[in-house]
Amino acid sequence: MVISYGHSGLWGGGMRQLLFNTRPSEAAFGHFGAVGRYALAARRGMHAFSRGPETWKHIAMGQRKWANLNPAAIMHAKPMSEEDYYGAPLVVDPFRLFDNCQMNDGGQAIIVTSAERARDLKHRPALIMGLGLDNPCNEIAQAQYTAGPTGAKKASQAALNMAGISLADVDACQIYDCFTYTVELTLQDYGFFGYGEGEDWFKGGTIEPGGRMPVNTSGGQLSEAYFMGLTPISEAVMQLMGRCGPRQLGPATQTKEPEIILCSDNGGTLQSHACLIFRRG
Amino acid sequence: MSVERILPAPDADSKPFWDGCREHRLKFQQCAECGEVRWPPSILCPRCHSQDTRWIEASGRGVIYTFAVYHQAFHPAFKDKLPYVVAVVKLDEGPMLLTNIVGRPPESLACEMPVQVEWDDISEEYSLPKFRPI
Repeated sequence: MVISYGHSGLWGGGMRQLLFNTRPSEAAFGHFGAVGRYALAARRGMHAFSRGPETWKHIAMGQRKWANLNPAAIMHAKPMSEEDYYGAPLVVDPFRLFDNCQMNDGGQAIIVTSAERARDLKHRPALIMGLGLDNPCNEIAQAQYTAGPTGAKKASQAALNMAGISLADVDACQIYDCFTYTVELTLQDYGFFGYGEGEDWFKGGTIEPGGRMPVNTSGGQLSEAYFMGLTPISEAVMQLMGRCGPRQLGPATQTKEPEIILCSDNGGTLQSHACLIFRRG
Repeated sequence: MSVERILPAPDADSKPFWDGCREHRLKFQQCAECGEVRWPPSILCPRCHSQDTRWIEASGRGVIYTFAVYHQAFHPAFKDKLPYVVAVVKLDEGPMLLTNIVGRPPESLACEMPVQVEWDDISEEYSLPKFRPI
């Protein structure tokens, strides 16, 4: 089975329609699209954690360092400094430009087959160890969990249970990163750090090349390209296959050679969540 | 050249809300069984599933649950309003309402700040409930 995602997000207009043709009852107040909705969630996070951009800059800059190792990344040739991060224009405050994912033309695909058939293929496969889903809310304005826990908590518990592992067994993460805040909240709900302790956990290069928990090693949606759930999943699979070249986890990037990679997908405005765990085949 | 405003588009469920707004009355459905005040409007109570419903008038007071400050206009009608504040206000009666905060500079706002409704008559037919810190 092929799972593919292709889109002319920049030129086709379909993604723009999806994101910006919103409900008239919200648009009458000037509220449009994903960035506004996630900005509302992120502000509540800032209220709860007393931190915001101080945490998110580590995510934006850390992922950019991975993109700088990925020739396919849109932002490959563009390093990002702290001055670049803070100097970028505000889009919808609290989000600056580099808190937002990109909009791209392109696509990605993965092939799903049985472990038995995969044995005969050219590349060593990645095996699916665990899956979890949780969809907590239909009407985001009524949601009072936008500083967590979101669906990520239950979804990851289900996926870890199915895989029979704990977070300590995870070597790297590929997290759906429509906005920097989504990465903070997802990893917090997964239990990598305590409530509001994100800044301490991210600082010092935790998620970067050479870091102890690499996150979004292609550059992610922020700095590689936005292909919905395929951005994190395809990167997890490619890393476990050992096909990532200069950004390959292991000795090339002074990181642990990956046995197990945890992925997330997220829909609506933190309204639906999927957690997937892959293992090297 | 003037740019056309975006107007609300009431459906059968939300029409009484927008009709109330035109009279500067903030009206919500309340479940006659369990008392839950709900938003958005619907044919049954999301808590107890009763269809027995009445409309109540809210006090217009609440607190800012969260807010975001638009620095880019995603529609021409908002170009000359930048920067402006979109917020979710948690009303004393319970519902969380998407709205604007007016009357204060955006940098002076905070979550949990108490607010009071203020009406913006944007056309003959429509008034928007906006909120001002008190």
